[in-house]
Amino acid sequence: MEILLANYGSYPRIGDGPQLQRHRRAYAQWERGDITAAEFRRVEDEVTAEVIGEQAEAGLDVVTDGQVRWYDPYSHLARWLDGVEINGLLRYFDTNVYFRQPIVRGSISRRGPMLLPEFDFARSVSPKPVKPVVTGPYSLARASVLKGGYRSHEGLTLAYAEVLALEIEELARAGAAWIQVDEPALLQHPEDSELVRNAVARLAGAKGNARLVLATCFGDAAPLYDDLQTFPVDLLALDFTYSPKLPRVIGERGSRLGFCLGLVDGRNTRLETREQLFPILDTVLPRLPGTVHLGPSCGLEFLPRDRTRAKLENLKLLRDAYLGYNQEP
Amino acid sequence: MNHAKLRSLGLDLPVLPTSTVGSFPKPPYLVDARARFARNQITRNELERLEKQASEFWLRTQEEVDLDLLVDGEQYRGDMVAYFAEVMGGMRVGGLVRSYGNRYYHKPVIVGEVRWPGPLTVDWWRWTQAQTSKPVKGMVTGPYTIMDWSFNEAYPTRHAACLALAREIRKEVEALVEAGAKVIQIDEPALSVRPEELSFATEAMNLLTEGLSAYFVIHACYGAFETIYPDMLALPVDNLDLAISNSGLDLLNIFERDPFTKDLSLGVLDVHSHRIESPTEVKERIMRGVGVLPKEQIWVDPDCGLKTRTVEETVGKLRAMQAAVRQVRAGAV
Repeated sequence: MEILLANYGSYPRIGDGPQLQRHRRAYAQWERGDITAAEFRRVEDEVTAEVIGEQAEAGLDVVTDGQVRWYDPYSHLARWLDGVEINGLLRYFDTNVYFRQPIVRGSISRRGPMLLPEFDFARSVSPKPVKPVVTGPYSLARASVLKGGYRSHEGLTLAYAEVLALEIEELARAGAAWIQVDEPALLQHPEDSELVRNAVARLAGAKGNARLVLATCFGDAAPLYDDLQTFPVDLLALDFTYSPKLPRVIGERGSRLGFCLGLVDGRNTRLETREQLFPILDTVLPRLPGTVHLGPSCGLEFLPRDRTRAKLENLKLLRDAYLGYNQEP
Repeated sequence: MNHAKLRSLGLDLPVLPTSTVGSFPKPPYLVDARARFARNQITRNELERLEKQASEFWLRTQEEVDLDLLVDGEQYRGDMVAYFAEVMGGMRVGGLVRSYGNRYYHKPVIVGEVRWPGPLTVDWWRWTQAQTSKPVKGMVTGPYTIMDWSFNEAYPTRHAACLALAREIRKEVEALVEAGAKVIQIDEPALSVRPEELSFATEAMNLLTEGLSAYFVIHACYGAFETIYPDMLALPVDNLDLAISNSGLDLLNIFERDPFTKDLSLGVLDVHSHRIESPTEVKERIMRGVGVLPKEQIWVDPDCGLKTRTVEETVGKLRAMQAAVRQVRAGAV
């Protein structure tokens, strides 16, 4: 059994010490006009390289770019789209993080590649494979206010899927081994699963040789489990922290799809223990095909930087202990 | 408006009373002093002298703008949750976590049984009220938000942590009432994050307010209120203060479907925009509210605390708000 340690998405861009606050200082300087956008981008590059290095040092086998450049999961993409404006702040699910709401006023189209340059940069500085992360079309549509261009959120979801398929195609062609599509809104609206499946199918058609990961979080995936197994993706990334029944469901029903086990609580600072993790691994691993990914339940920027690193290092100790090599955690 | 209650508390306010949500920007000398204090370069007395200087500026500014219900301006607080967490027993200040854009806060950690350490905000309330003939609001951060915005390493569930906090924050509310505060605002921006938890958030609010003689306001902002409306009307308070201008005033539509039964503090200034609204623009926002609710139920204030704006932006926005209210009063009263 191979267990790869894989990050989910975001990573804290600053830490508590002054040397870890470079991004915050540069952001403020850029907002004040004291440095240029190009100078701020250079700092974003440096911090991206730093958080990738930190993930690798902590022992992750698959890293992300930490989404250091993302204002939030929606406006980061929407700001590149014609037909969309960015509005006021709204809370991102049940987190302490706020996003700017996209307002769709007309037919949406892409002004150019959005994530490929970020992926290219991340890969150039990473000692480990980088998994690019794309916000899913359904969650994007759910977060958007529809003021024109489409008759319904269903139409908007499929329109976002068309645009995001271009992103997936470019990332796959550039050599991404995995591409993660985040659809947290699906768990809030299970009634729309067919729509989500159709939109994801459009992305799957563009994935080339990449393995597509469908990720959900901030909700209980157990009631949707059978449905999720029918999605045209290669792996499911599920948040176990909201879902006490999920291990049993997987143990009973097995999985057709590969799995990213979101067992590290990305929302609480308490470190995971072997008493928590090992019984779950015992239950689910015999029922999962191929290489299993193990990692956080959601993006990690809900945690302070030092706890993030501590959690990942702890995860490596737990994984190694579970597989019977290296020291006990 | 709950006139009878306000009058019984000795408050006689005009139609469309104006207030603010609590925080004002710290002038550069105070920002600098806080940084120097953190590095042990100045004494607490010196810091407090500058906090009072800044508070006095904001008090005079509020009087000069002619707001009806004043605040102490929170010049002595950093983040609204961290301020309580720094001093509550059983809590400690954790590391920095991003809120949005380039805004970060120290997310607290509940590490043991929470305990009220004695009056936190009461001295500031007293100090402010002593210098003005206008009423001053008491301000506390609500238990649900403190729970939700903290890491919980101590209590078995969120519910248990929330109720424990409510029992302790109530002691602060009692101390404010005892000191003479007639209006108390409870900041609960996290209120709508998990609709399934509104029942225990309401239970916590009951623990906080039951039997106390004050006009209670809950300030909530930037949430998906449609998910907890109309159930949120069961919250045991007199007034709900909601961010409305920030979301293009969509929230008012849901009040057309299910009547809003409490007083509403209508947030009419976008506190995340550098742009100073014109009185005409603010007046339009007020009129949207007046079109949906009787004006007797409406208070007027900014969407949220103004601490992220500059001093100039804050004063400009407040003047525009008060000018708009004057126009509406002149036309409508």
